[in-house]
Amino acid sequence: MTNLSRRNFIKIGGAAVAGATLGLPHIARAAGGNVVIVGGGVGGATTARYLKLANPDISVTVVEPKASYHTCFMSNEVLGGERTLEGIEVGYDGLKSMGITMVQDRAAGIDPDAKTVTTAGGETLSFDRCVVAPGISFVTDGIEGYDEAAQEKIPHAWQAGPQTALLRSQLEAMEDGGLVVIIAPPNPFRCPPGPYERASLIAHYLKAEKPKSKVMILDPKEKFSKQGLFTQAWKDLYGFGTDDSMIEWNTFSKVGAINKLDAAAMTVETDFESFDPAVINYIPPQKAGKIALNADLADDSGWCPVDKMTFESSKHAGVHVIGDAAIATAMPKSGYSANSQGKVTAAAIVAALSGKEMPQPSYVNTCYSIAGTDYGFSVAAVYRYNAEDNTIAGVKGAGGLTPVDASAEQRKREVAFAHSWYNNIRKDTWG
Amino acid sequence: MKARGILSSALAFMALVSVAGKAPAAELEASMLANTCNGCHGPNGTSYGPAAPTIGGTNAAYMFETMIAFREGERPSTIMQRIAKGYSDEELKLIADYFAKQPFGRVVDQDTDPDLVARGKQIYDNLCEDCHEDEGMSAIDYPALAGQMMPYLDHQLHDLISGRRDLEKNEALSSKERRKKMRNLKELVETEGGDGVAAVIHFFGSKN
Ligand SMILES: Cc1cc2nc3c(=O)[nH]c(=O)nc-3n(C[C@H](O)[C@H](O)[C@H](O)COP(=O)(O)OP(=O)(O)OC[C@H]3O[C@@H](n4cnc5c(N)ncnc54)[C@H](O)[C@@H]3O)c2cc1C
Repeated sequence: MTNLSRRNFIKIGGAAVAGATLGLPHIARAAGGNVVIVGGGVGGATTARYLKLANPDISVTVVEPKASYHTCFMSNEVLGGERTLEGIEVGYDGLKSMGITMVQDRAAGIDPDAKTVTTAGGETLSFDRCVVAPGISFVTDGIEGYDEAAQEKIPHAWQAGPQTALLRSQLEAMEDGGLVVIIAPPNPFRCPPGPYERASLIAHYLKAEKPKSKVMILDPKEKFSKQGLFTQAWKDLYGFGTDDSMIEWNTFSKVGAINKLDAAAMTVETDFESFDPAVINYIPPQKAGKIALNADLADDSGWCPVDKMTFESSKHAGVHVIGDAAIATAMPKSGYSANSQGKVTAAAIVAALSGKEMPQPSYVNTCYSIAGTDYGFSVAAVYRYNAEDNTIAGVKGAGGLTPVDASAEQRKREVAFAHSWYNNIRKDTWG
Repeated sequence: MKARGILSSALAFMALVSVAGKAPAAELEASMLANTCNGCHGPNGTSYGPAAPTIGGTNAAYMFETMIAFREGERPSTIMQRIAKGYSDEELKLIADYFAKQPFGRVVDQDTDPDLVARGKQIYDNLCEDCHEDEGMSAIDYPALAGQMMPYLDHQLHDLISGRRDLEKNEALSSKERRKKMRNLKELVETEGGDGVAAVIHFFGSKN
């Protein structure tokens, strides 16, 4: 715990600023430098692990309020009944065993000038470099009847854990013939194919257990990720396009935007229609995690601008932002992206702390979706950094989608590879 | 607050300049390239299964040729053809050399049938041992197969036997090697029936 220190803080305009830094006793320093990471999710844990792998002398502290993490990836399988909630839970022993310090608390303030992170519990952590990977927060205003409290009846299940369990229990409790409404978020948001995979796996469950039921997606967008592949899968598996389809996709341009969600009456009202679902899964519009907003790391878009080579904040030097919270040009907000960015950031920090030059960054994203039994597909991209315009761009001619006419054998293999990806990225991220 | 904002953006600007200034000189580094593979293939290329193959500790020349074959569309895949197209020869060489230096981890206890394993051992002695030496543990000249993921071995044997993965197109092999492998695969199917393929898969899968 060499990088822990307790100091008196004065709050100015919401930002915590260390008082009289110069007058304070010298902080014990790790030989390799101190890194404090906010968030033990995909981005934060990957950075922690790869920092330690590169240089065990770097002191790495991860601030994370939860005792264990539930992966969002494969949480749609939990909703579909193919996996248990424990099956998507991962602890922090892997990180601890590498000598990474876990502080089980919420980061309440980041001071880029004093180079400190304060926790809700009042601890002050000094850093040479800080990595902020808090994921997303939700925009809960703008719809009548909906606020954070309503999430206890209208789950988003877009952060896995209790919300996933709640949505699953509602699906289990609903009667055959019921309607499940999924309200998809506007761009940009965490996991672009996620709502459509969710619709597929809920339909998969209903087809077997409650075949008179239906899933309806209400969407602010006119098109969505892997649309051709999902549409094909829905036709192959759930009668999409026929009168008996178990999945319906309606855009706001057709049914109107959402005006009101009534958690007590369980109704959804749009500009033109009203629905009476058994289960409502409202996935709200998103922004960077609250701590990133409070620490002045986001721009007007609600997401955090960064240097695309090092993920160092464009607003505050010495602080890096990665994962869903960051603006990473072409990279989608995915677990694979957060993992890949964690490795690039670890290399950037190792270089910065040792005064060496960082190697060329290399980034990859692969996202699998499972639409039903033996029915998987993927999108992949290999990215390069472009120094001239500070962008991350996909390599031309590489990457792309599973072909729509892939054979049944190929689709089945993609499910096996999706499950392999899950096991391997978990290990690669949390050890 | 305003002054602080300006100051910190000035600091950020300096940071940008110092990094961007170095960008053209930044070097390719094997670990930076290779680490991106771990998301699917596991830490250091050791797969935790069930299907994605372990690529750590494999033969460097084989891995390089395989990536080129994916890139050129000569070897079938689900996703690897799309990913391999993102890399130059030089980068693929660095990646292959990097993984060849990692251990081939055998961390998954795969379900195997003892009878099939025993039969697989006989078939192995007969048909596979010449190339895949040391019960498939060796990666000196050919890829290691011992402890490889069984669904992956199944996919590959299936594709080789059906001709979907065409050994004739594999320029890394001499024509003599190609003929021999084709002959042995044919024999595996003809003399051992459907179970022969399963038996060798169980044999290799039983190694850990
Ligand atoms: C249904 C669904 C399916 C998905 N499927 C896939 C998939 O198949 N493949 C894929 O690649 N991605 C998938 N994703 C996306 C993936 O889960 C996210 O992109 C990924 O988790 C982003 O990582 P992150 O580190 O940015 O955030 P997170 O993983 O959310 O981690 C953020 C962490 O920060 C912590 N935190 C927040 N605020 C604070 C604070 N103030 N102090 C301390 N800690 C804090 C949180 O508790 C959390 O543990 C899916 C997402 C969903 C919702």
